[in-house]
Amino acid sequence: MHIPDGFLATPVWATLDAAAAPAVIYVARRAQRGLEESQAPLLGVMGAFVFAAQMINFPVGVGTSGHLVGGALLCYTLGPAAATVVMTAILAIQALVFQDGGILALGPNIVNMALLGVLAAWLPYHLWGHGRRRRLAIFLGGACSVLVSAVLALSELLISGVRMPGSLLGISLALFAVSAALEGAITVAVIAALEAVNPNFVRPSENGGSRILAAVAAAAVFLAVAGVMFASTHPDGIWRLAQNIGLASHARALLHTPLASYEADFLESPWLRKALGGLTGLALIFGACLLFGRLAARHRSA
Amino acid sequence: MHHVVLERWSRGDSPLHRRDPRAKTAALLIFLVLIATSRAHLPALGAAYLLMLLAGVVWARLPLAAALARSSVVLPFSLVFAAISWMAGDAARAGALLTKSYFSALAVLLVISTTPLPQLLRGLEGLGVPRFLLMVAQFLYRYLFVISEEAQHMRAASLARGASVRGMAAHGARFRSAAGALAVLFARSYARAGSIHQAMLARGFEGRFHLLSAGRFRWQDGIFLVAAGGLPAAMRFAVERAVR
Repeated sequence: MHIPDGFLATPVWATLDAAAAPAVIYVARRAQRGLEESQAPLLGVMGAFVFAAQMINFPVGVGTSGHLVGGALLCYTLGPAAATVVMTAILAIQALVFQDGGILALGPNIVNMALLGVLAAWLPYHLWGHGRRRRLAIFLGGACSVLVSAVLALSELLISGVRMPGSLLGISLALFAVSAALEGAITVAVIAALEAVNPNFVRPSENGGSRILAAVAAAAVFLAVAGVMFASTHPDGIWRLAQNIGLASHARALLHTPLASYEADFLESPWLRKALGGLTGLALIFGACLLFGRLAARHRSA
Repeated sequence: MHHVVLERWSRGDSPLHRRDPRAKTAALLIFLVLIATSRAHLPALGAAYLLMLLAGVVWARLPLAAALARSSVVLPFSLVFAAISWMAGDAARAGALLTKSYFSALAVLLVISTTPLPQLLRGLEGLGVPRFLLMVAQFLYRYLFVISEEAQHMRAASLARGASVRGMAAHGARFRSAAGALAVLFARSYARAGSIHQAMLARGFEGRFHLLSAGRFRWQDGIFLVAAGGLPAAMRFAVERAVR
């Protein structure tokens, strides 16, 4: 789901743009460093492959068909950093050339699909990618990447104040689950076919890494997604949480000095509470990602 | 393929085509932020912005109807959410979603159809986007058509072998054959990337692209940036003043 411009509230797109920019620069540097200089043509052509893959239809049920989204497949063949760069380039070309997704909304879309989507694909493979449960791990990776991206996009829209009746929310979540399962099945089938063509295409998951670390990261991603989902439906809840932690009093103290008389009105406006709730959730996600990226980097170099 | 249209448009000639990509990108960002952050008096402001965009399209000598139709690709998505908002009793938001998303798409189209993509990406490099990412995007765009054509050939071949005939093959078999086709496409793309890189090395590629026309930021570009960024801002200020 590519969010166009004009849908997200200013705090939401501004925060996510600000979060996506350094993350993409960091990941691009990693992807460039990790591999030889022939990377740019390879990643570009693989991005074109993901575009073209949409033309090959997979039968789903009676008369309907689906196609590959690609984040998980790229992650298992090129590695997570390169997959993120390719997905980012795809989103940029889609936004510029095909008007599919907005320019200001590029940051949110990158966070949803290229950063957290690829991370969600990488985690199950990293945890269970060797041994008997490998196929299940690949399936889960494909499914999670689509599900996480879709839930994040929906939450961002809800945080921005796009209202949605509960029944419709349930229907869209069910649709997300179906497309997630389809992406998982396609990823499993394509990985199996790729290994038949040439086993070297698929990167083995690093064996024997610290599972606790990955489990903590998985929990962080899960908590972050659940937190955003919760924040979008109960902005008051996350606001109260922030108050308990002490963030709110801190913010109040900061606001107190320049805006002494406006302080109470300012903090009581529902829009601001909502925005602050959303921002807190997003900050939590970003923090989790940064921490996870740092840990993963250290883990790989060890 | 419909993006070929964009290639033709962006290689036209008009005062807007001749402006520096950096000036156009910066003006686009200012315009998009102005649209995204405006919350009051949308009908009046929207009319003013629509006139500006239409003037831009005419000034760039683009076909008006085709440009308006092309940027309406955002409308299906917007219409769904506008309908939901409308049913939830938020008619103002429904209107805002439609106008904001459509005007933003039209503004992006105006820039992309007056700037060839290589020049636009070079301009973005000047604005601080990592060069590696831009190179990947450029290769992606270049080989999009090549790999898509290959995928179309494979699809035609599989249809010729009876892939569309229902009941000929079990569901699982058809699923696996589609997966096999993707795997073959992957392998071919991978091999193609390798030979592209070798060919580039053989021609003396040293890690960056060179443009035939080196862009220079001239005074006309400065004037354009001030006008194209300042006019919408002034318009918004005026509208918000007048209506209040």
